[in-house]
Amino acid sequence: MLLLSYFAVILPFTAYLKNRPTVIKLGYLPEAVIIRAVSGDQRYLIAESTIVKVLFYYGSLIDKLNDKVIIPPEYQNMFRTLETAVKLDPYNKDPYYFAQAAFTWEVGHAADVNKMLMYGMKYRTWDSELPFYISFNNAYFMKDFRNAAIFMKNAAEISGFPLYTSLAARYFYEAGIDELGIVFLDTMEKGAQDKQIKKIYQLRKQALISVKTLREAMKKFKASYRRMPTDLSELVASGTLKEIPTDPYGGRFYLAKGGMIRSTSKFTLEGGSK
Amino acid sequence: MLIMWTALLSQVAGHNYRVVLSVFEERNIIQGTGCAARIPFCVSLQEDAPMKHMGPLISVTLKWTLRDRALHGLFGATLLLFALIPIMSIFSMRQVQELSITLSLSMISFILLILAVLLGSSSVWRDIERRYTASVLGLPISRATYISAKFIGIAFFIISCAALLGLAACLTIGITRVLYPPLPPVNWLNICIAVIVDSFKYILLGAFSLLFSALSTSFFLPFFGTIAVFLAGNASQEVFEFISGDFGKTMARPILLFLKMLYYLLPNFSAFNLKVQAIYGLPLSGPGLAYTILYFVIYTSLLVIGAQWIFSRRELS
Repeated sequence: MLLLSYFAVILPFTAYLKNRPTVIKLGYLPEAVIIRAVSGDQRYLIAESTIVKVLFYYGSLIDKLNDKVIIPPEYQNMFRTLETAVKLDPYNKDPYYFAQAAFTWEVGHAADVNKMLMYGMKYRTWDSELPFYISFNNAYFMKDFRNAAIFMKNAAEISGFPLYTSLAARYFYEAGIDELGIVFLDTMEKGAQDKQIKKIYQLRKQALISVKTLREAMKKFKASYRRMPTDLSELVASGTLKEIPTDPYGGRFYLAKGGMIRSTSKFTLEGGSK
Repeated sequence: MLIMWTALLSQVAGHNYRVVLSVFEERNIIQGTGCAARIPFCVSLQEDAPMKHMGPLISVTLKWTLRDRALHGLFGATLLLFALIPIMSIFSMRQVQELSITLSLSMISFILLILAVLLGSSSVWRDIERRYTASVLGLPISRATYISAKFIGIAFFIISCAALLGLAACLTIGITRVLYPPLPPVNWLNICIAVIVDSFKYILLGAFSLLFSALSTSFFLPFFGTIAVFLAGNASQEVFEFISGDFGKTMARPILLFLKMLYYLLPNFSAFNLKVQAIYGLPLSGPGLAYTILYFVIYTSLLVIGAQWIFSRRELS
C-alpha cells in the first residue's frame, strides 16, 4: 500500500520539482583569509567547489537565456568569488580559464582578468596558457602590443610552441620594438631542434631585420629632411637606403598610414603567395 | 618503530615497570575481573621491558577499534565516496586529474580527522566509564604503560587507515586516468608522502585528544578540545603571517606577544599540508620534510609524556 502510494506521489512530485521557479543566486562567500584560517588543508576542496558553484550559476543563466528568460548575471560577485578561489588555491587552473572565457569577451574586464592571470603566473610557473591569455587580452582587447609581445614571449619560452614565438614576434613588430623581437627569435631559433621550426624562426627573424632596416632608414630620412618619406622608394632615391630589403615571405614592403611599415604578404606564407 | 618510540618515551618519563605479562587475555580485561590471579599465563618481574606487556594492551585497543560499528559505517561510506570520485572529477574544466587527487586527499584528511578525534577522545574515557581501567590497572601495569599502549594503538590504527585509504586513492586516481586520457603524469611519490605526513598530523592530534582524555572525566573536553586544537593548529600559521605583516604594527604589543607565544605553543598543522605538492606534482623540500617529521616526533612525545604524567596522578574511583 505504502509502495503504491510512493509511486503515485513520486511522478507528480518530480514534475513539480522540475518546473518550480528557481531562485538563481550565487550567494556570499567570506573573505579568503578567513576561509584559509578556518578550513586548513580542506581549502583546495573549498576552492574547487566554489569554482564549480560559479560555473553552475553561470550555466543556469545560460540555460535560462535559451528559454528566453534573461537574468542579469552577478558579474561582480562572480569575479569576486573566483578571486577568493584563486587565493585559496592559486595553483588551480579552472578559475583562470573561466575568468578568461567569461569576463573578457562579454564583460570587457580584460584588465581585471589580466591581474588575476598575472597572480596565477607566480604559482603556475610551468603553464604557458596564462601568459598566452594575458598577451591575447593585451593585443586584442587593450591594443597594448608592447605588453602583448612580452607575455607572448614568456608563453613561447615556457612552451616552446612555434606559434607563440611567431605571435610574439608579430606583437614586437606591432609595438615597434623590432630589436627585442630579433633577439628573442634568435634565441628561439638556436634552441629549436626541428629543421622546419628553425626555418620558420629564420623567416620571421629576417622579416623583422628588414623592417628594422627600413625603420632606421626612415629615422635617418626624417633627421635629414625633417619630414617623413611619402613612399619607401623615396628612401632609395634620397640615398638614405641602398635598396629596399626583400620580404622573406615573398611580399613587397610599403608605407602604411601612421608611418607603419607593412608588407603585402602580411608576414604570412599565404599572403606572400598571393 | 612506534612501540620502540613510546617505550623510550615511557623511560624518559621515569616510570618503572614492575611486572610483565607474557600473554594478556582480552576476555579477562573486558569482563573486568580486576584480578591478575585469574589471568592465565600472567608472569612477572622485569624492570626494563615495558614493550613485552604493552603488546597485548595495544592489541586490545586495536581490537576494540576494529569492532566499532560506527567506524565500519564510516569506512563503508568512504569507499562508496571514493568510487564516486572519478565521476565527480569531470566537474573540473581544465584539471580533471588534479580534482580527483584533491578529492581523494581531502577525503583521507577528513576520515583521519574523525578517527583521531573519536578514537583519541573515547579510548580512555570509555575505559573509565566501563570500568575497564579498574581491571586493567588492577593488573601489575603502570598507568604510563597503559597510556603508551593506548597511544600506540591509536597511532597504528591511523597509519593503517591512511595506508588503506591511500591505496584506495591511488586506485581512484588510476581509474580517472584511464577514463579521461590524455592526462599529465602523476607524481605518485608526492601523493604517498602527502598521505604519510597527513597521518602524522592526525597522530599528533590523536595525542592531543589522549592528553585531554587523561585529564578529563567527561567525553566533552577531549572531543571539543581536540576540535578546537585542530582549528587553532590549522589557523596558527595564517594568523602568525597576518600579524607579522602590516596588521601587526597596528596591534597593541602585549596582544602581539601573546599571539606570538600562542603560535609557538599551538601545534602547527600547516607544515603537514603537502596537498599542493601532491596535486600539482610540485617539488618537495627535503629539509622541510625532515623538520616537519622532527617537529612531529618531539611535539607528540611531549604530549604523550604529558598524558602519562597526568594520568599517573589522576584519582580513579
